[in-house]
Amino acid sequence: MNRPAHTRAHARLALLALLAGGGCGSPPPLAKQLETLASWTATMQLAKERHGAGAITYTYATQLRDKADDAFQQASTTIGRAAQTRTDSAYAAAALDSLRTAIRQLEAEIGS
Amino acid sequence: MKKWGEVALGVVTCIGGFLEVGSIATSAQGGAEFGYQLAWVLLLGTLSLAILMEMTGRLAAVSRRSYGDLLRERFGYRFFLLPFLAVFIVSLLVLASEIGGVAIALQLATGVAFRWWAIPTALIGWLLLWRGNFSIVEQGTALLGLVALSFGVAALVLHPAWPTLGRALLPSLPSHDHARYWYLAVSMLGASISPYLYLFYSAGAIEDEWTIEHLGVNRITASVGNVFGGGLAIASLVTAALVLAPREIRVDAYEQIALLLATPLGRPGFVFFVMTLFITCFGATIEIVLAMAYILAQGFGWRWSENLKPAQDARFSTSYTVLILLAAVPIALGMDPLSLTNISMVATAASLPVTVIPLFVLMNDGDLLNTNVNGWASNLALVVIALLSVVLLVAALPLQLLGGG
Repeated sequence: MNRPAHTRAHARLALLALLAGGGCGSPPPLAKQLETLASWTATMQLAKERHGAGAITYTYATQLRDKADDAFQQASTTIGRAAQTRTDSAYAAAALDSLRTAIRQLEAEIGS
Repeated sequence: MKKWGEVALGVVTCIGGFLEVGSIATSAQGGAEFGYQLAWVLLLGTLSLAILMEMTGRLAAVSRRSYGDLLRERFGYRFFLLPFLAVFIVSLLVLASEIGGVAIALQLATGVAFRWWAIPTALIGWLLLWRGNFSIVEQGTALLGLVALSFGVAALVLHPAWPTLGRALLPSLPSHDHARYWYLAVSMLGASISPYLYLFYSAGAIEDEWTIEHLGVNRITASVGNVFGGGLAIASLVTAALVLAPREIRVDAYEQIALLLATPLGRPGFVFFVMTLFITCFGATIEIVLAMAYILAQGFGWRWSENLKPAQDARFSTSYTVLILLAAVPIALGMDPLSLTNISMVATAASLPVTVIPLFVLMNDGDLLNTNVNGWASNLALVVIALLSVVLLVAALPLQLLGGG
């Protein structure tokens, strides 16, 4: 049901680090991008699980995959600029990697 | 017996009519990001809409004129232009969003990109308006809209924590991301209290030839129907709180919302979601375009009725023809339906004062309503809604900038 523990830990650590570093107020752009990546990673994992259970169609699963891929492509081009430190960059890379893995896992599930 | 049939139809219309693209999207976003915490906003929106519908229905039944007609007659043409333009612009945005909702439903079902469905959706809607009459529009969408009850079933299957949900019906402050919380609250109120809903309801009372005899029907329809409709919007929020929030999934695209019903109900849930989105958004498309054509015709004094043949009210028929096609254009050009929905819901909330405040004057006009003028309790409720609408007007733009991302 839930996404793997390491993905959650990555996302949470990244958010904590950024919020602590950023002080207060609205989340900085990197935090928002990490949230979006984590959200799409979880969406891919839920879609994989639901497709495996026969609850969603192949057509719908591919649409979700395409949307997640759009989010991945967009973040790939912008997240580097938002990362201020080496630690930020490491978290950004980990979040991108998690989403890429989740997309591949869904593709393997639906056979595309 | 006929009266009870009218009550049942009215209640069913409200159930299907309440849930549409705006309430589905904003409730899902609210539930995904803040759990049950925004449930109070839906309760407030539901009560406000029920009160406004009861009043505009009473006004139409007693005076035998629609709210749009009376705005022009009592306040003069110059003043009328203000609510007219506000409602017209906002409704056009909401109309485009609803067409987007239909197009997304068709995309989910077929895999063909939503933008290709915008013009066909507009054409089918126009054909229904051109060939059909008010009963077909009202009854067809109302009965099919009952598929939205699947949101209620999904929420029950997920076994919500009732005490927590009960507490969430009272306003509370968020523990994080205040701007986003209030932005979603304003969006949800905009989705719940759309002016087109009570303008359509008022014009519908004239179409259905309501008289003073229908005041009981009006009261029950507005209260019971909206309670059920609002209940379904809360069910959508609860489902998102139990399906998406624990996984930390934010709703960034309509495609994610279909997982709401597919998770608790399996494949039937997915099918029900697609059907609900399609039917409720198509029903809302028809209602909004009619509401816009009504206020246009009422404002300019044209002949209007969905029960007349198009040749008998040519300017009214031309209006809905142009409007429905115009609203399809942004979706056909590929504008993101979810972003459009969010913007249009906030704009709707901001437009409320210009239709709510004049209602206070009309509902206390003894020449129009005789003994059916507002009592102190109704006036107090209307003042509260008017104040709320002013707050929404002031807060909408800053919150769009701070929390809309």
